[in-house]
Amino acid sequence: MKPNRTRGLVRRATPIFAIAAVIALQAGLGLEPVLVFPLYLLIVLLTAFYSSRLDSLFCAVLAAIGVAAPSLLAGGSADLAVPLLLGAVLLVVAVAVHEVVGRIRNEAVSAERRAAELAGSEERLRITVEAAQVGLALVGGTGGWLLVNERLCVILGRSRAELLHLTLSDVTSEHDRSAITEALSMLRMGDILRWEAELHQVRGDGSRVPVEIAIAAVADHPGGEQVLLVQETDVSARKRIEGLRDGLVAVRHTIVSAATWEQAAPQLLGGLCAHLDWDLAQFWAVDTDLQALRLRQAWHREGAAFEEFHNQSRRLSIASGEGLLGRVWLSGIPAAQEDMSVATDYDRAAVALQAGLRSAIALPVITGGSVIGVIEMLTHEPRMIEHDLVTMLSTAGGEIGNFIRRAETAQALRRSEADHRAIFERSPIGIARISSEGELLEANPALLMMLDHDFQVMRATSWPDLLRAYDQAAARARFSPLLAGISEGKSVQVRAGTGGGKWLWLQLTATSIPDSSGRPEHVLVMVEDVTLVREAQDRLGEALESQRSANATLEKLDRTKTEFLSIVSHEFRTALTGIQGFSELIRDGGLEPDEVRAYGGYIFNDADRVNRLIGDMLDLDRMESGRMSIRTADVDINEVLSDSIARAGSSPSVDFKADLDPRLPIVVGDRDRLVQVVSNLVNNAVKYSPDGGTVTLSSRSEGDFALVSVIDTGVGIPPDEIGHVFERFRRVRSGAAQSIPGTGLGLTIVKQIVEMHGGKIWVESAVGHGSAFHFTLPLAAENVSPLQRRHA
Amino acid sequence: MPEPAAPTTKTQITVMVADDNDVAQRLCRRVLEKAGYNVLIAVDGLQAVEIALSHRPAMILMDVAMPGIDGIEAMKRIKAAIPNQPIVIASAHSMASDRERFLAAGADDILSKPFRLADLVAIVARLTAGK
Repeated sequence: MKPNRTRGLVRRATPIFAIAAVIALQAGLGLEPVLVFPLYLLIVLLTAFYSSRLDSLFCAVLAAIGVAAPSLLAGGSADLAVPLLLGAVLLVVAVAVHEVVGRIRNEAVSAERRAAELAGSEERLRITVEAAQVGLALVGGTGGWLLVNERLCVILGRSRAELLHLTLSDVTSEHDRSAITEALSMLRMGDILRWEAELHQVRGDGSRVPVEIAIAAVADHPGGEQVLLVQETDVSARKRIEGLRDGLVAVRHTIVSAATWEQAAPQLLGGLCAHLDWDLAQFWAVDTDLQALRLRQAWHREGAAFEEFHNQSRRLSIASGEGLLGRVWLSGIPAAQEDMSVATDYDRAAVALQAGLRSAIALPVITGGSVIGVIEMLTHEPRMIEHDLVTMLSTAGGEIGNFIRRAETAQALRRSEADHRAIFERSPIGIARISSEGELLEANPALLMMLDHDFQVMRATSWPDLLRAYDQAAARARFSPLLAGISEGKSVQVRAGTGGGKWLWLQLTATSIPDSSGRPEHVLVMVEDVTLVREAQDRLGEALESQRSANATLEKLDRTKTEFLSIVSHEFRTALTGIQGFSELIRDGGLEPDEVRAYGGYIFNDADRVNRLIGDMLDLDRMESGRMSIRTADVDINEVLSDSIARAGSSPSVDFKADLDPRLPIVVGDRDRLVQVVSNLVNNAVKYSPDGGTVTLSSRSEGDFALVSVIDTGVGIPPDEIGHVFERFRRVRSGAAQSIPGTGLGLTIVKQIVEMHGGKIWVESAVGHGSAFHFTLPLAAENVSPLQRRHA
Repeated sequence: MPEPAAPTTKTQITVMVADDNDVAQRLCRRVLEKAGYNVLIAVDGLQAVEIALSHRPAMILMDVAMPGIDGIEAMKRIKAAIPNQPIVIASAHSMASDRERFLAAGADDILSKPFRLADLVAIVARLTAGK
């Protein structure tokens, strides 16, 4: 500072000393002012050139004084004008020169300053460009790199020298190249001034880097060539975080919107790959039967040829702890194979590498603390696995696992619900859902159709009736009532009327569906129409019953047959005893003629009896086997009775009495058989009246029948035998009747004949007072009087 | 035609025939009287018991199918009173099961109807032997 001030003082003092020297010279030599004037002018000019305006003026004033002073001091007014003029000239010159010099000097200074400023700004730019945290560069109109900063070199993973030989397109991913080319073209044409995008560029090592890029036209660059300013930011970190976030969002979105895992899987695997930038994904499910991982779903980017990889994967069963997937299954935490071209335990390394896959990551799908599957993702480049990706995948794996469990449960529920609904709707069995109060909540179509009611009627009347019937039937079977509690699932059968007026047998089976407290929340009642079954059962029961009775009849028949044989052989042998014995006596001779005659009589009687026995037995057999037909004709039963009395009239001891209704209509029958009936009864009456008496024959009409009675006053039938008189060989033998002969088949035959005519026969008797046999015969259809008939 | 005890003085040995059939009664009486026996006739089971106990015949020829109590029941009652009374069942029931039934009931022998007259005489002779 001091030397500067010294220099300023020197500079300022110099003109003053110069003027002082000129004054001294003028005064000393006494020179004319005109002569020294050029010296003064030179000093003023120089001062005006180099000094400030004030200095110049001061110098000019001093010089003017110097020019004019000697003249003034000398006094002469005429001589004053010239020195004054000269002083004024000096002043004017100083001012003018100073102005001109100042202006010139100002211009020079500003130009100099401008140059300095320009130089400073370029330096700043350079420094700024280099120091920028974004990649900055200038490219030519065709995209060739002109200037790149260090950051851009880092972003692109290339040296500055390398870049300057490339174009912007060269370092842009194939996918985005056309966009860049188009943008450059538009900028070149001036269509747009600025273009921005997010795209991938290719680093020196071939990997891709996501960048935010802005390209702007630079307005006027010297040299006339179009220059574009390129600004790039590496957004891979942001992209990765966004990818993680979006990946998780996509997983959640898929999970929320999908109903089943099958539906969700392709979207989910695809979403994970897209957001996390993987080429292929597979879902491996734990097969609990095989205790192995099996490929369930696969996804890969479109256009890639990964089919062989998927196929090979499908053939694999991976055991726990085996390879990448097995390890993830075992450990339950994500794991990766960052580069499978180096030594690896990756199971499908060969086929993966062949398909161009280099790196794999696998995440466990976990629910309820256990691994139910593994998702594997692969990509074509080696990839460092960041911690936040692992965290994100763990989260996703848990959520996917829960989703799969939920989806399977939901699907099972839906299937079960759908099944139940289908059963309810289409079951041929009626199903009713009722509240715990017994109110009908729902009835399936089968039930409504079965009972032929609509739902309203069903609920209002039919169902309560059914419920009452159930409880009554349950009470009989000692079951609890329907609504009493948890049903034992027992069935009861009740009778129920349908809307159409039919009666059905319904089998009801109730199942209580309890709430959490065990009280029945609602009850399902299965209603089956078992009418046919019941009827079949009843018929079967009847059939069994009739079979049983048929069996009993057969057994009885069998017994009867044996008994019959025994009785018949007894009867024959008894008859033969006399025949054989007396004929032997006659044969052996030595008898009186009276004896021979008497014995011949016995033989004849017994032979006759045997003959009758045989005839009766054959008759009975024909009747009982239905082989005897009756020839029906009009029969006047009174005539039959009269004839019978006439024939038996020869009996010595018995009186006959006829009590015949003359108005009795004719009957329809077989006259010969009816004669057999009457004569049989009459013979019996005579036989069992050994001490004489009266035999009365009566006839009268009883409704549509003729009633015929043969009444004797004979020995009568004991009470214990009266029930058996129509049975074969059941001759009354007791008491006075014991020696009365007969075949023992007469009354049996009589009963058969009467019944064959559609009539009935019965007996009333009292021992010692006689018996009354009554039988009926149906009258002829035309109810004409017998008299008219007889005389017709 | 009941013919209760009609003792004759000519014979010592009395035989009872119990039969409800009059032809059989006549035949037996004729044959046995000719053979020298005194013949008593009973026409039913009760009468047979009564005559057997009152007349103690040397042997009894008993039919089975008789009114009232049958021949088997009559035989049981008689045997209960006179255990060693010889009784021959003379029946037209001649099936094998019948024979066993009669023997089991205590019959000393069985004569099937119809019978040869010689057989009747022989069986009566055998059971009355020593009397």
